[in-house]
Amino acid sequence: MNLLVIIIFVLTLMLVLSKRTVALINGFMLQSFCLFVLALTRAVWAKDSELYVVAALILLLKVGLIPYFLRWMVKKIKIDDNLGLSINPMLSLVIAVLLSFFSYLFAERIMGLQNKPDVAAFSVSLSVILIGIFIMVFRMKAVAQVIGLLVIENGSFLTAVALCGSIPFFVEIAIFFDIFVFAIILGIFIFRINKLFTHIDIDKLKTLRG
Amino acid sequence: MELLVVLGLPVALALIPLVIKEIRKIAVYHTAGYFVLMIFSLVLAGRLTGRSISYRDFFYADALSGFFVLLISLVSFIASLYSVNYIGEDVRDNIISNRKARLYYLLFDMFVFTMFFSTVVDNLGIIWVSIEMTTLTSAFLVGFYNKKESVEAAWKYIIICSVGIALALFGTILFYYTASLNAGVHSLNWTEISAVSAKLNPNVLKIAFLFILVGFGTKAGLAPMHTWLPDAHSQAVTPVSALLSGVLLKTALYAILRYMIIVNKCIGPEFTGNLLVFLGLISLVVAAVFIIVQKDIKRLLAYSSIEHIGIIAVGIGFGTWLGYYGALLHMFNHAVTKSLMFFGAGNIIKKYRSHNIRQITGVLQSMPLTGFMLLIGVFALSGSPPFSIFLSEIMVLIAGFTGKSFAACFIFLACIAVIFAGLIFHFSGLLFGKKPAAMQVFVEPMSNKILFIFLGIIMVYFGLAIPEYFNNILKASINILQVM
Repeated sequence: MNLLVIIIFVLTLMLVLSKRTVALINGFMLQSFCLFVLALTRAVWAKDSELYVVAALILLLKVGLIPYFLRWMVKKIKIDDNLGLSINPMLSLVIAVLLSFFSYLFAERIMGLQNKPDVAAFSVSLSVILIGIFIMVFRMKAVAQVIGLLVIENGSFLTAVALCGSIPFFVEIAIFFDIFVFAIILGIFIFRINKLFTHIDIDKLKTLRG
Repeated sequence: MELLVVLGLPVALALIPLVIKEIRKIAVYHTAGYFVLMIFSLVLAGRLTGRSISYRDFFYADALSGFFVLLISLVSFIASLYSVNYIGEDVRDNIISNRKARLYYLLFDMFVFTMFFSTVVDNLGIIWVSIEMTTLTSAFLVGFYNKKESVEAAWKYIIICSVGIALALFGTILFYYTASLNAGVHSLNWTEISAVSAKLNPNVLKIAFLFILVGFGTKAGLAPMHTWLPDAHSQAVTPVSALLSGVLLKTALYAILRYMIIVNKCIGPEFTGNLLVFLGLISLVVAAVFIIVQKDIKRLLAYSSIEHIGIIAVGIGFGTWLGYYGALLHMFNHAVTKSLMFFGAGNIIKKYRSHNIRQITGVLQSMPLTGFMLLIGVFALSGSPPFSIFLSEIMVLIAGFTGKSFAACFIFLACIAVIFAGLIFHFSGLLFGKKPAAMQVFVEPMSNKILFIFLGIIMVYFGLAIPEYFNNILKASINILQVM
């Protein structure tokens, strides 16, 4: 349990370091896989049949379909593999570490969590969310923004699984459905952007101002 | 059972464009359908003042839901009525194909359905899901014309709102955490959590509400998270702009209100109130600055939406009975007035083929009815008597002064004054003057005439008196909001 949380944390830092789109997708896939293992161990430990379904859905959607779809899309629209970093990897890493330190303080001081595993779980999940936002803001390719958002959602799930055990079953199913639809729709828009602008660099979308 | 009608009718209407090919027919059926739904919602909202409906722990509707259902059905009706001519002309002028026009109606119904859905479910998680679904369905309507600008707007819209909504998910999970840990409620049902709200952990609750407010506040268009709003509103198909501005923003506010009730029950209204007043005032200031320098007519109206959302947030934030009353009434008034303004602007853009305020002159000459309604509308929108917005704004102000929030009231008044000047300046340039020499005088189609007269009557009537029936709906909603 604790080990998995730490692995997820390390993987998230690796996401920050990656310079290529494919590396980012792979990182997201690995992170989701850890989330799947976490949900599965929880399910076995708590003998909770609903959690099995949740784990299976994570495996199907976040480890399987969505990364596959994203990879297919990257290949299809032949974008160059460079992510367009506006902050270099080392500085990004420093910022990410600062963000996670902030989450740790937040978990301990403000949330008032007492036992150590809870603090670790909460601060890791909050830092995953913050790092997801960081990726969205400072990586300029449209695909990176999609991944950033999926990472934020992973962080929320980590909170739910690690802190509360799980959230009500049909809510979780609905959220999965939502994420899936979301990924598809964003994919459609990436195709459209690519067709109309012949690139997917978000920092060059600047017609609408003021 | 009643809720089934509200949710079922948009779904049934969504099937029509799949079966029927003729756009005119689809449009008429839609208008009729939404008219029936509006009447039904009016009755439903009245019945909900006395009691609440719940079905299998999943659906739940009380007076507050009733009010929002009424609001959504009203704007859906007027938007579908306006679509009759708007989409009809687009198809005739070959701007969009017949197939695409049918897609428009399908998306329109899905969008309306998701908005209805978010106001009648009990589960906070499902509210979250349906609000995210409103973003996804309406994104296609924002990027509908598939031009560079509209696709860019749609992209920004999905990304910014989804980040916001992801933060709201985190807030929701924190709510669940404290509900299950401190109160032993293993569910996200609003009714259950609000029943045990006194037992929740105040610290966690405060943090969770911050995430909720920033998250859903993004969708509600509160500054400084408003950046998607002017783009999306200006690029969307005009009837959809009215839906976005008139009700979508308020649906997000509805979610905030549900959480606010729980938090207020636990730690009192000061915390949420101060936050809402603060964000509301920032929205007012941002709107005032951008309205002055605006060149694009639909963006101008979009910034005015930010202003009005700010006013509503301030009204709720003041937290007195009158503040709530003013805020809810303002939601209604803003929906009516802003729809009218968007429809007028849509007509102008069609006729002049330009968004630029400075290139458009002489609207009163070239399109007399649209011009006249816009002239009334701009005074109504900027809060002049005897129109309805004046009434709700003054209520919010009185609530502020009686609550001794003088600084907030001062900023409020200053911004309103600047925005008044800005709106009148922009619209006087646009309405008066000579029309371009080559331009024919525009004869309004029947559907537009009905629409403008209908909206005009509501706008003036609600400025003079509030019908007893509507008054009861508002009062019952306030009973739910006010927890003291």
